[in-house]
Amino acid sequence: MAGEFDRAEFDRLAAEWRYTITDMICRAGSGHLGGALSLVEVVMTLYKRVMRFDPANPKWADRDRLVLSKGHAAPVLYVALAYEGFFPKDWLATLNADGTKLPSHADERFVPGVDMTTGSLGQGLSCASGMALAGKLDGKSHTVFCIVGDGECNEGQNWEAAMFAAHNQLDNLVAICDDNKLQIDGFTDQVLSLEPFADKWRAFGWEVMEMDGHDWDAVHRTLTAAQQVKGRPVMILAHTIKGKGNRAIENRPESHNIKVPDAAAYQKYMDALAVQDCTLPY
Amino acid sequence: MALHDQEMRFVYGAVLNELMAENPNVLCLEADLSKASGTNPQVPNAHAMNFVNFGVAEANMISTAAGLAAEGKIPFCATFTCFASRRVYDQVTISVAYGNNNVKIVGTAPGVTAGPNGGTHMCFQDLAIMRAMPNLHVYSPCDVYELRAVLRHMAASRQPTYMQLVRGQVGAVFDESVTFSPDRAIRLREGTDVTLVSTGYMTQFAVGVAESLAAEGVSVELLHYPSVKPFDAATLVASARKTGGVVTVENQNIIGGLGGAVCEVLGEQCPTRVKRLGVPDQFGEVASETYLFDKHGFGPAHIAAACRELAGGAR
Repeated sequence: MAGEFDRAEFDRLAAEWRYTITDMICRAGSGHLGGALSLVEVVMTLYKRVMRFDPANPKWADRDRLVLSKGHAAPVLYVALAYEGFFPKDWLATLNADGTKLPSHADERFVPGVDMTTGSLGQGLSCASGMALAGKLDGKSHTVFCIVGDGECNEGQNWEAAMFAAHNQLDNLVAICDDNKLQIDGFTDQVLSLEPFADKWRAFGWEVMEMDGHDWDAVHRTLTAAQQVKGRPVMILAHTIKGKGNRAIENRPESHNIKVPDAAAYQKYMDALAVQDCTLPY
Repeated sequence: MALHDQEMRFVYGAVLNELMAENPNVLCLEADLSKASGTNPQVPNAHAMNFVNFGVAEANMISTAAGLAAEGKIPFCATFTCFASRRVYDQVTISVAYGNNNVKIVGTAPGVTAGPNGGTHMCFQDLAIMRAMPNLHVYSPCDVYELRAVLRHMAASRQPTYMQLVRGQVGAVFDESVTFSPDRAIRLREGTDVTLVSTGYMTQFAVGVAESLAAEGVSVELLHYPSVKPFDAATLVASARKTGGVVTVENQNIIGGLGGAVCEVLGEQCPTRVKRLGVPDQFGEVASETYLFDKHGFGPAHIAAACRELAGGAR
């Protein structure tokens, strides 16, 4: 549930989340670090200031929903859910371990608080549209948030969903694009150009907003403004830095999926965190 | 007009209307083929809010259905089999089956019944590829009465499902009293010389073949499988033990579908001589049903010949 904003505490917690996410992925031996770190401020703001939910009742009918369509960023979602009390923080240390409840990609089947299983890029915006349509049919007032990646928007299904959500006036759907300008093979403008990205969404009938995805005030202001839009779905382009807060990977293509084969690599990624005086929650 | 004088697709739409009247969570999803599926105009006329058209965007329809199902809706998504299976295979895999979302997928105009749309639309592999998917049931009802029973089961169960739907009129195999369980094959005829196994569209022909062979003195045990997955192995094995020879016939590629399921079960549990009839690993083409039955060898005369050959088989 929405709480008070204490800038120093949010800064401290964001550093702790980045420290934890890096440790989780390093322990696992590999993982999608860059796209998880770029989402810390967005996801923390959603869970601490914007979304309505009840950790004791993860399927509460009137909760706000979040579909993490870029399912490979699951570690940041898992950290948020653990910190909000959906499951014990100890679970975080088991990312990708044999028999874990926390697989690399967001999984509704095992993780309390995950609203949709994702991992095959391009499908989450459709799933979120279905959840939003159900909310409309049932006369509900909750919001369905959906986080997509900028590289993910190469997938044509997003644009099918874009037409559908606008056609059906799904103003209870707020999409956020983690627009970090990078995808696996390089910068998005070199792999497959998205520009004019904002105009594309506008042309599909969406309200488009843009924000600095690492600025607490901008993120909160934009997310809450998006919930007020009537008659059309909203796409928020969150301008972010892939690998934010970890100098070993910040804004580098190789940040997408890091390999951590040994203790030296582990130390390299941990030492590269911008903030060091953090405590792991497990 | 009796139910069996109606087209299958009309009964599909009519039963959806019945189900919606009983449960407002039942939804009819279409991708610009709603008239071909038989739901338009009867469903939007009766339940406009429960009818959602996605345009020519099947991938979005399937994943959106998963989102609707996650919220407790029961979406029935119809389109031609080629689009309902192979075009959306990853959406069905991840959004529906892996995510365990209660979506009902209806593939219309299966196999040769795609007729004039020809090779691009003639899908012979949907039973095979959908059967290879964990957490997905695969059904193929043979007539209007069974179709209604299957649809009522689908709406009542929380089970991701793929169902083939023949669009045209089909000869009545059952009557109003038929029931459906995914765990049970139906023995349409008892026999001792050969087991004939069919599903969906081909069962109406198999019934006629079994009758005519009886007049010749060939005793056919006819098993109809409305559910290809789950697959009732016990009924098949018991019959194969009795007859010693099994013929399968399906409106599909002989690889991986009903014939594949039969061979898997018998190979492991009761090695038996089997003859699979269907399309021998080829694409379709624009042609009449008779032409395609003759070309690929799975019309009534071919079924009868195969049954004669295996009757009393090599035990």
